[in-house]
Amino acid sequence: MPGFDSIEQLRDAFTAQRYLMDEGLATVVFLAQRLRKPLLVEGEPGVGKTELAKALAAASGAPLIRLQCYEGIDVHHALYDWDYPRQLLQLRAGGSAPLYSEEFLVRRPLLEALAQPGSVLLIDELDRADDEFEAFLLEFLSDFQVTIPEVGVICAEEPPAVVITSNRTRDLHEALKRRCLYHWIDHPDLRREVAIARARLPGVSERLAEQVCAFVQDLRWLDLYRSPGVGETLDWVEAFHTLGRDEIDAATADRTLGTLLKERDDLERIRGKGLEALVERAEERAAELPQDGASSGAA
Amino acid sequence: MGLRVGLPDHRTRSRADGGWSPGAAARAAGAEAGERAPDQAILAAAVAFARALRELGLAVSVDSELVFFSALAELDVRKQADVYWAAHAAFVHTPDERAVFDTVFERFWAGQPMTLPQRGAEHGESDARMGGAQHGGEALPQFQHEGKAASAVDGDKQRATRDIPSAEGEQGASNQQRGVLAAWSARETVSDRQRLEYNHDELAALRKLAEDIKRAAPVRRSRRCRPARGGHRLDVRRTLRDSMTTDGEAFRLSYTAQAPRPRRLLFLCDVSGSMERYSRVLLASLKAAVGAARRAEAFVFATRLTRVTRSLDGHDLERALEQARATVPDWSGGTRIGGALADFNRTYGRRGFARGAIVLVVSDGWDRGDPELLAGEVRRLQLQARRLVWLNPRPMGLDQQPLAIGMRAAMPFVDDFVPGHDPRAVAGLAQLIGDLGGQRPQRRPVRA
Repeated sequence: MPGFDSIEQLRDAFTAQRYLMDEGLATVVFLAQRLRKPLLVEGEPGVGKTELAKALAAASGAPLIRLQCYEGIDVHHALYDWDYPRQLLQLRAGGSAPLYSEEFLVRRPLLEALAQPGSVLLIDELDRADDEFEAFLLEFLSDFQVTIPEVGVICAEEPPAVVITSNRTRDLHEALKRRCLYHWIDHPDLRREVAIARARLPGVSERLAEQVCAFVQDLRWLDLYRSPGVGETLDWVEAFHTLGRDEIDAATADRTLGTLLKERDDLERIRGKGLEALVERAEERAAELPQDGASSGAA
Repeated sequence: MGLRVGLPDHRTRSRADGGWSPGAAARAAGAEAGERAPDQAILAAAVAFARALRELGLAVSVDSELVFFSALAELDVRKQADVYWAAHAAFVHTPDERAVFDTVFERFWAGQPMTLPQRGAEHGESDARMGGAQHGGEALPQFQHEGKAASAVDGDKQRATRDIPSAEGEQGASNQQRGVLAAWSARETVSDRQRLEYNHDELAALRKLAEDIKRAAPVRRSRRCRPARGGHRLDVRRTLRDSMTTDGEAFRLSYTAQAPRPRRLLFLCDVSGSMERYSRVLLASLKAAVGAARRAEAFVFATRLTRVTRSLDGHDLERALEQARATVPDWSGGTRIGGALADFNRTYGRRGFARGAIVLVVSDGWDRGDPELLAGEVRRLQLQARRLVWLNPRPMGLDQQPLAIGMRAAMPFVDDFVPGHDPRAVAGLAQLIGDLGGQRPQRRPVRA
């Protein structure tokens, strides 16, 4: 993986991948790569935690290896397994190759990440795995090596860049956090969200992107059960765009609100507040923006 | 790779003046400072910084310090933002810690002595007030701190002196307090803080309760499989592996079964004025439950919600209880059940704390808040929980009283209503949990 020499360079590389990051995130990603530490990112759903790993892989031209965590995930799903059917065939055919050798080893994501030099390993939603798996991961993350009893110790030529995401459905263990650099990704501010929308959806009008983002930013200040994330903002912009709108209006907003809000209580509340007023306010705020939508405002 | 340093002897710098200002030192060191390893002065300041954070309750390990030092070697130490984010990545481990961190960092960067800033936000347990506007719907109670500014750098055992935010009347609370209303008003009332004292018998009873809960706690089947002779799922991997020894002939089939795991127990306990005579024992029972079930969570509320799980976690029973009580600013205050449950649903509920859990609400249901809000929040909680149990210390029938508006509002969404449950009869709790079991209750779809 070609390293980044400076934070600015890293940020530019990410911007080229249409991932716009603020100064803090850029610094932490830079440090994670320099110090060869895993990076633990947390944040509200939809702020781009998983996207970060994808962008990192794309920006550094490295393969992305993803391990999705779930309850009950174990060594055989995460690290390695033996190809038993093939071993059986070999046995029946009377072959002479040793049964427990690399030939019959099935690489799961963690082992794959060790084998491919300079890869980006995404351990997604680690909080969904159980404590046992987290404990197992500790060894892997500190030494980037694993022991397979029948084969021996396998270590990485060049350790992978590790990005761990968590939604905080439970507290991760202190020991794991200690091995990582930590970053909490916030919702982007208005200017950056507009920039993200413009970068991700090049076809839509600047005005529409600004208005939708202003609307969503306002919603995040309300006490909703489920605040919309950047992903939902993008969906909503696209919804307007698909319906042939160049700017937001209350009627279309009403019809497409389900793209943005996924809780019945929230929907009712926003509708009850009067969409017209909210739309109007969003229009005002969007009009106040400097007419340079491409700038990515730093946090 | 950055430098590998041992901890420098920070005593060589005078700490009386608060030490070094990173900005000034970097300027003095000239342009090459950025490329070289951070020098002693910088390291000394960094150590003092980490110590200050530790004093304020952040879990700063030596590992984190080393990470910070090596990060400094990679960055331009003259840039405030770079240093800030490096320190942030190394020392902060939950979003709740950011407020304290910011304050200390400001002082660190300015070269000021890193004295103890006002506490309040960093408890992390009661982070209903954190996260700014996300939670800021209703009038947030103001905090007052009786904490004295004490030097955190001097390394005294300051941690022991937890300052308790003394409760202050909420803004705009113009409630007339008359007669019995005072006991359950929406105002936080300051009660005299006597020490919670427990005698030997009580402590023994609590230890027994912990054991009983451990035994009684309902289990669920986890997704993790365990080899089991009577299992129903064929373990192909194991069977094939075993058959290797018999020339590929599978003589014995292995099975697995889903391993049982304790179901999460979630306690939401009312410690408002009207529950005052139960609160002391209730907190102790929570301690026993948290100690017993590995996945138990405990919250208490009066006018707002406080998570006490972590403060209760610890071996020293009495100290843990005292510590937990200290984190509750509105102990024996007014009641706002709906608001507290809303807090829970928004912060912890969304993170899945109630999913599949046995939720036990202990409250008399005397609520001054909006009954509709309460009903809505209980319904939301019930949808997430495996079973929602409401323990009411008042005997049957009393929930029909005009005062128990909250109770009546919540009733349709409660799976099990247990009236007349006296929290002071400690042993009853384990029995109750055992009797409830982990079964899914029958519910009719709710039309709202």
